[in-house]
Amino acid sequence: MRKETKEYNYDWMMWRIFEAASRVKDGSEKESRELLNYIPSFKAALEPMFSHGEVGTSYLRVVARYLDNIIHAKERGQKTAISTFCFSPAILYAMDVVPITLELLSVMGTILWKRGTSEYLEYCCEAGFTETSCSSQRGSLGAYLAGLGVDIDFVLCDSPGVCDTNANAFAFASTYLDKPFYQLNMPPNLTGERSREYHRADFRSMISFIEEQTGKKLDQDRLREILIEIEVQDEICDEIEELQRLKPNPAPVEYPLFIYATRFLFSGMKEGTVVLRNILDKVRENASLGISGIAGGEEKVRALFCYIDHYTTNFRMWDMLNDNGVAHLGGILSRQWDISSPLSLEKGDPEEGYGIRTGSLDEMIDSIAEINSRLPMIKSIRGPYDMPHMWLEDNLALARMYDADMIVYSGTPGCRNTWGMIKLFARDTEKQGYPTYIMYSDAFDDRVESWETTRDRFEEFLKVRRLV
Amino acid sequence: MNNPFMDIARTLENKYIVQWKENGNAVIGYTCSYLPDEILYSMGILPFRMRGTGAGSTSIGDTYFGPFICSMPKCILQLAGEGSYGFLDGAVVIPGCDSMRRMDDCWRKAGGDIEGALPEFFHHLGVPHKAVDYSLTWFRQEIEEFVAAVEKHFSVKINEDRLRESVKTYNRGRKLLRELQELRNLKSSPVSGAESMAVILAGSAIPRDIFNSLLEEYLAELRLRKNPGTKKRILLAGSANDDVELLQLIEGDKAVVVADNICFGTRFHPDIVNEDADPVSALAEHYLFRSECPRMFGDYKKRYSILREKIDSAGVDGVILQNIRFCDLHGSENGLFERDLEKEGIPSMRLEREYGPMVETGRVKMRVDAFLERIG
Amino acid sequence: MLAGGCDIGSLTSKAVLMNRGRIVGAEIIKSKPEPGESAQEVMGRALAKGGYSFEDISFCVGTGYGREKIPFVQETVSEIACHARGARWLVPSARTVIDIGGQDCKAMRISIDGTMEKFITNDKCASGTGRFLEVMAEVLGVSLEELGNVSSSSKNPVVLASACTVWAQADVIRHLNENVPLADIAAGINNAMASRMAIIANNIGIEKDVCMTGGVAKNAAVVAALEKILGVRVKRIRKSDPQIAGAIGAALLAEEKISGGPQ
Repeated sequence: MRKETKEYNYDWMMWRIFEAASRVKDGSEKESRELLNYIPSFKAALEPMFSHGEVGTSYLRVVARYLDNIIHAKERGQKTAISTFCFSPAILYAMDVVPITLELLSVMGTILWKRGTSEYLEYCCEAGFTETSCSSQRGSLGAYLAGLGVDIDFVLCDSPGVCDTNANAFAFASTYLDKPFYQLNMPPNLTGERSREYHRADFRSMISFIEEQTGKKLDQDRLREILIEIEVQDEICDEIEELQRLKPNPAPVEYPLFIYATRFLFSGMKEGTVVLRNILDKVRENASLGISGIAGGEEKVRALFCYIDHYTTNFRMWDMLNDNGVAHLGGILSRQWDISSPLSLEKGDPEEGYGIRTGSLDEMIDSIAEINSRLPMIKSIRGPYDMPHMWLEDNLALARMYDADMIVYSGTPGCRNTWGMIKLFARDTEKQGYPTYIMYSDAFDDRVESWETTRDRFEEFLKVRRLV
Repeated sequence: MNNPFMDIARTLENKYIVQWKENGNAVIGYTCSYLPDEILYSMGILPFRMRGTGAGSTSIGDTYFGPFICSMPKCILQLAGEGSYGFLDGAVVIPGCDSMRRMDDCWRKAGGDIEGALPEFFHHLGVPHKAVDYSLTWFRQEIEEFVAAVEKHFSVKINEDRLRESVKTYNRGRKLLRELQELRNLKSSPVSGAESMAVILAGSAIPRDIFNSLLEEYLAELRLRKNPGTKKRILLAGSANDDVELLQLIEGDKAVVVADNICFGTRFHPDIVNEDADPVSALAEHYLFRSECPRMFGDYKKRYSILREKIDSAGVDGVILQNIRFCDLHGSENGLFERDLEKEGIPSMRLEREYGPMVETGRVKMRVDAFLERIG
Repeated sequence: MLAGGCDIGSLTSKAVLMNRGRIVGAEIIKSKPEPGESAQEVMGRALAKGGYSFEDISFCVGTGYGREKIPFVQETVSEIACHARGARWLVPSARTVIDIGGQDCKAMRISIDGTMEKFITNDKCASGTGRFLEVMAEVLGVSLEELGNVSSSSKNPVVLASACTVWAQADVIRHLNENVPLADIAAGINNAMASRMAIIANNIGIEKDVCMTGGVAKNAAVVAALEKILGVRVKRIRKSDPQIAGAIGAALLAEEKISGGPQ
């Protein structure tokens, strides 16, 4: 690691960037434009944000707030916990714990910096962690392992049984940093009484663990508030999901990222609801005018991302989509699984979506457990890909619902899980008539396959398969 | 003196399996050490731990698995696709890790393409990643469902008395394997790591009764062997290994692997199953709670202390921490082991390798030689 | 009376002759398919330089991948031990040695008294080895030596795919087609190489003084890039060619055998 990189904590640097970025638009139009010239390193990343008006700015503000919470947790007397994106922070907010979601922090550095999080990725290997592990955790984990982040109080994850590589990163972190660890464990079946009981017991055990770590009891009223807010957020997202079925898709290509990031950051918290509402307003506006969310105005291809996005510097993936007229129909991260979401309704199985009940504590715990086990990956990557409620079924239902022209797989080489079934998946989806493009790049590390090459190959696929 | 286990270790369908099948009995293959063998054995079915022994390429494996996957499931699938696993009447896939777990998806797909590649009976046994009361309940229920499926397909019934017998038989084997380890722990260790590995492998590949009697004989012969005990003593840790040639390569003529904590190794038989309790409960508890695998996340300290104990009991000079490329669970745990062993002044070396046909022997030998020189 | 050291690698073979701690003959050749042949030829040439013959060698130690096939050695030792030994002789204050050979990349830490404390290797693929540079130099149409010099005027190094040599190659070709300055591409190549090396160096824990052996140590730009990433100075080897460090170490071990004890 270079000397300069060791001078400041990673999370602190991200905080300062987002804090400043969220204020760029506080001035007049002219002032903001001029200011961008003074931050050449970030201009290219911020311009797309600002092109989205209040949506972009409120999003920046909410990220800044999230980071602010992390930086000041200690002085505010709060505990911090590192966890994964597919672990709902709602329970942590209910118990006054500040979540530090590793993958979100990795995304930030990857998009904002030319060198991405390469030095932190490397540090993980220097610390003994395998190079072949998923880069989504490694990108920011390296900083924490190197002592270049806030002090962490405990470690949580819910990926054992779903994504061992992910769970392994957290287990490693807890051993390396010598911090208490709790894992929620996922059985291979989503539904059924057995799974329900298992989740119940597991969640209760986790709550006891957190109570032990914080010395505070779970505040039921707080939990109730959060669950009610999740319902509010769900309603907003359900409508956004529904509107995306329109042709052309009225949601700009960046919106899926804004949606899922906001939910991972502030599920059940009013800060998140503000951003989601702004997003809904804009999507409604575009929908009423019948216009496409694509920057160039013309939708040529509708692409369903079956997994994650590619977080190359300066949002170049979104540039690529805009340049080629490719509408982003969302990915595994942006999907909604409450019982009244379009997707749950479309699939028709009453047990597929989660319901929120706020009567007794038991009901609330059940709700949170259900929500958690329907988060991205936790839901559809747990059992074999072709089983009910799993990856293939979900994506085919989505492809039909959204009238997709193609399916795109973007992931990381560390994803043992999806790489163990993507070829099978693609065969099935192609058979169903959906050209399926598999990207061999690393969403968090351009040194695996440079962005230029990634883009070349993507565009080649569009041409060869006559999608454009 | 002949090691009767070497042939078994080097062949997939060994002569005892051939005999077993000729007698009209069934064989069920499984992928991970969490399957309670005793149950199948009590029902007259031979449990066979699947290996990639003999896979010369991964052309079939690569067709279904993506590129960034450990080569062990690929080799197993290769053999299944080539027909080498034709002797299996059934297979159980256990989510040992992400790569092995996808054997379920890939094998079924291959079965659709290649006639006869997929055994008629195919089951997914969900094993939790932690050992607590409710996960034990889950595991027990999984076992019961599995038993019901076997009963239905193979027209057999589980019988408690036979199960108790089976537990006793397997425990006898475990005691004998312990005796083997005690011999290995001696300064004058009369048996090489390769030979020991062959013994342990055989334990997962032939009928237990036969295994027990062969091992008893072998132990008696070993006790008569004399050995000056001048070689460097190594403990082999890390990813699954079912290849005796790796042990031979490591040992060469300068070292002896006196202990291990690998899967297919002594990890397979640490404790005796409680013979007094209800057998299914005792088995579920035994198999779930012996957390020697990093798939049981969060138990590093326990595993480290087990490793330390083995190092002490066997009087080890150095530890080789190997992992198969893409094996993140062992690969990163090895990083932690190395850190902690170094702190205690115990020499260790990390070695990343491929699973499968013993290629790159030159590279591995170079590393091992350098390590042996270092601990000299 | 001569002590001989013979290092038969997969890409190059080296031989060194020593007499009472002084090098009296040395040679490097491209390895032939047969290690025995390579050994005969390279040692023959080294002997010829000083006017010696095979009979003048009292003890010879063999090392490298082909060490078991050298007909005229009395003992074989791992190249890791030999490189560490040789590096210590070349740079007496060396505690950390980074060796980049044609096909692998190793880091070693030596204690003050010269014993090997720890070593690590990373050779699962070509990136981070001399082969990577060879391939890249060919694409750029320059020699390996020039690759180091060409990058010195670079203002804006490109970022290359560093995990896979083949992909990096594709990147380089594309940059060339887009008329990116040669210096920037060369600098990107050197940086990619250095960053792969830095990983294993940091993994082993740097202790000063750091030195580099192997052919790549002769590439000034890679060394400079590595220094920048690691934040420590790499001590240049002036006593002899860093590429023959392994053979030197082997020869020193042979000398010990002749004199009957460590030097």
